[in-house]
Amino acid sequence: MAHRLLVRRFWTLSSKDLRCLPVSSSSSFSTSLQSSRVPVLSRSLALASLRRAASFNVQDHDDFDVRVIKSELPVLVDFHAQWCGPCKILGPRLEKAVAKQSGKVTMAKVDIDDHTDLAIEYGVSAVPTVIAIRGGDVIDRFVGIKDEDELESFVSKLIGK
Amino acid sequence: MPPIENDTGKNDLKSQIQLLIDSNQVMVFSKSYCPYCVKVKDLFKELKLEFNAMELDLIEDGTNYQDMLLEMTGQKSVPNVFINKTHVGGCDKTLQAHKDGSLQQLLCAETEAYDYDLIVIGGGSGGLACSKEAAALGKKAMVLDYVVPTPKGTTWGLGGTCVNVGCIPKKLMHQTAMLGTAIQDARKFGWEIDEKVKHNWDTMKDAVSNYIGSLNWGYRVALRDKNVNYVNAYAEFIEPHKVKATNKRGKETFYTAEKFIIATGERPRYLGIPGDKEYCITSDDLFSLPHCPGKTLVIGASYVALECGGFLAGLGLDVTVMVRSILLRGFDQEMANRAGEHMEEHGVKFLRKYVPIKVEELEAGSPGRLKVTAKSTESDEVIEGEYNTVLIAVGRDACTDKIGLDKTGVKVNPKTGKVPVSDEEQTNVPHIYAIGDILEGKWELTPVAIQAGRLLARRLYGGGKLKCDYINVPTTVFTPLEYGCCGLSEDRAIELYGQENLEVFHSLFWPLEFTVPNRDNNKCYAKIICNKLDNDRVIGFHYLGPNAGEVTQGFGTAMKCGATKEQLDNTIGIHPTCAEIFTTLEVTKSSGGDITTSGC
Ligand SMILES: Cc1cc2nc3c(=O)[nH]c(=O)nc-3n(C[C@H](O)[C@H](O)[C@H](O)COP(=O)(O)OP(=O)(O)OC[C@H]3O[C@@H](n4cnc5c(N)ncnc54)[C@H](O)[C@@H]3O)c2cc1C
Repeated sequence: MAHRLLVRRFWTLSSKDLRCLPVSSSSSFSTSLQSSRVPVLSRSLALASLRRAASFNVQDHDDFDVRVIKSELPVLVDFHAQWCGPCKILGPRLEKAVAKQSGKVTMAKVDIDDHTDLAIEYGVSAVPTVIAIRGGDVIDRFVGIKDEDELESFVSKLIGK
Repeated sequence: MPPIENDTGKNDLKSQIQLLIDSNQVMVFSKSYCPYCVKVKDLFKELKLEFNAMELDLIEDGTNYQDMLLEMTGQKSVPNVFINKTHVGGCDKTLQAHKDGSLQQLLCAETEAYDYDLIVIGGGSGGLACSKEAAALGKKAMVLDYVVPTPKGTTWGLGGTCVNVGCIPKKLMHQTAMLGTAIQDARKFGWEIDEKVKHNWDTMKDAVSNYIGSLNWGYRVALRDKNVNYVNAYAEFIEPHKVKATNKRGKETFYTAEKFIIATGERPRYLGIPGDKEYCITSDDLFSLPHCPGKTLVIGASYVALECGGFLAGLGLDVTVMVRSILLRGFDQEMANRAGEHMEEHGVKFLRKYVPIKVEELEAGSPGRLKVTAKSTESDEVIEGEYNTVLIAVGRDACTDKIGLDKTGVKVNPKTGKVPVSDEEQTNVPHIYAIGDILEGKWELTPVAIQAGRLLARRLYGGGKLKCDYINVPTTVFTPLEYGCCGLSEDRAIELYGQENLEVFHSLFWPLEFTVPNRDNNKCYAKIICNKLDNDRVIGFHYLGPNAGEVTQGFGTAMKCGATKEQLDNTIGIHPTCAEIFTTLEVTKSSGGDITTSGC
């Protein structure tokens, strides 16, 4: 039940505001509503990519609560900023590592300037900061860049492999 | 002083007295010669309590005060003591209250009731520094910071002017321009660079904005780590101890504190002519302008005007500076003119003795086209010019008019909006302090605001004694040829000491780095002003040349230590540098000797 609710919420949000859709093909982390960098994809294409996407942009505190804290799957939270160069390198690597686990873990992206309170609450001091959450608890974290192998083992640890 | 007859006068007086009672934890209406008054004041001193004593015999309308106090409290005699807005009474009653503990109770009741020990209004250089220091000293501190968007809609993050729209982006863009010069020089040193070198505004702007973004975040984290409560809201006093904070969604929250520090800084002044707010920008917009400004008119001759005009020209843009009277008011005029001449020689056009009267849009766009009409300050002549961007930099106004200061009784200079403070940054209302750019007669510089804020917090909460020293503050204007100074301008020194008591040593110099590219010979200039009556102590230091900030900083310390000409002469220079010129200054201005340079 909870799961279905969650899915519905996900869909309403996404179709309401196409500009917030995750862009799987781009490394851009722009979550800004004004951003015009995201091309207006054909709707079906955008939705298709959404279905596959293992990552999403956190919209607000409530959204975080539902999709991260109450998530049945473990979640990697990527705290990032648009002004942060290393974030732009780490982001795609993380997405790749998460995608490899085919549905055993999801990834939440939090822009710390749009959601400062969340970042402050989770003790983020520098970006990128990645936090691993399972069952609502923070069980692991790292700050800065990691290479693909390191990320893979970080993710594996999270899903208990 | 005649007794007040009319009701308005009476009501004014009544609210003045009420304000004193409301805004001072301990308020004593007293007479300087009255032994009972001395007794209660001594008691408060002994208890180490901050109190405000108004000596009714020393003010003009003291008798009116006394009459009104009678009306308000039924007590005519002095002392008339109030604690936390409660009327205690005269000397006997106060001493009695001290004995039976009710005085203590009165004092505690209110202090505990405040939400915070300290609320700082304004999260800029000064405000952040003092709130962090106060929190580090164990106090419950809050910072309220809010950026009101410019007429163009530009806004920015935490940290105040310096980080977002001042020192930081300014210096980075100045550096951008300097690199352009370096590329030109580089060819002479053998670097083979394509003839056509282009600059990309967007790349620079994004890089600068990204760096600022990281600084904003750093400040936010520092406040969290230091336990300062930060609220992104516009603050306004509604009572002497209470502010209303309005966030960007318009939600109002109220906070009280025992003490307040106002650090609201300044914002650019507009001209008040048709078209200024609609079409012109200020430094608040420039550093994040989404497009290259193109052909630019800079209005004003403040340091902000010359710095911005300087770096825009350095990016290769067509720049004109419109000046009403003099360059860099308040700075040494000889230096100011030399810095200006250098700009002019490097392609910046100056329209002197003109003031703009209107700005019209010819074509919208990014950038668009604007027509500026200006008139001469000396004749009826009217001129017109076409520009892509008009940057107004005619000065800045203190943000003190919309923060409810009238509700607190804090005095503001009605002409300038600046706040006069004691040498301990205290306003006329004892529990309200002010620091930074809004202070009357003080330096408008980031390190000054930071120092004042930090020392103030230490004095208030850490038993500190040190006061901020506003004398011999070194500073630098980042014009294309940089100008660093410390101490008095020559003009001011003459005013204070008289020409005959001064010796001015000066010299032109040619930085080694400029020799190979063969540019700017005899443009760089060094000057010190010495007080003959005081051992030839250096009271003014002036340097026009590369890396002025780096050069001036250390001499600032020397001047703090009271450096004399002889000590400079005994200092061994570092060769080959520009700064070494100050160890070998020989020619005095009064001698009229030749100061052009020739080799090493
Ligand atoms: C273009 C430019 C270049 C400069 N370059 C230099 C330089 O090279 N070196 C140097 O030392 N100085 C420089 N300065 C000056 C320096 O920026 C200031 O001296 C310094 O920022 C002053 O600090 P402050 O704390 O007084 O105020 P600010 O830093 O201006 O901070 C005040 C803060 O309070 C906020 N505020 C105002 N009213 C309210 C309110 N009612 N409620 C909540 N928040 C409010 C403002 O939005 C702002 O964030 C420059 C200034 C400019 C404009």
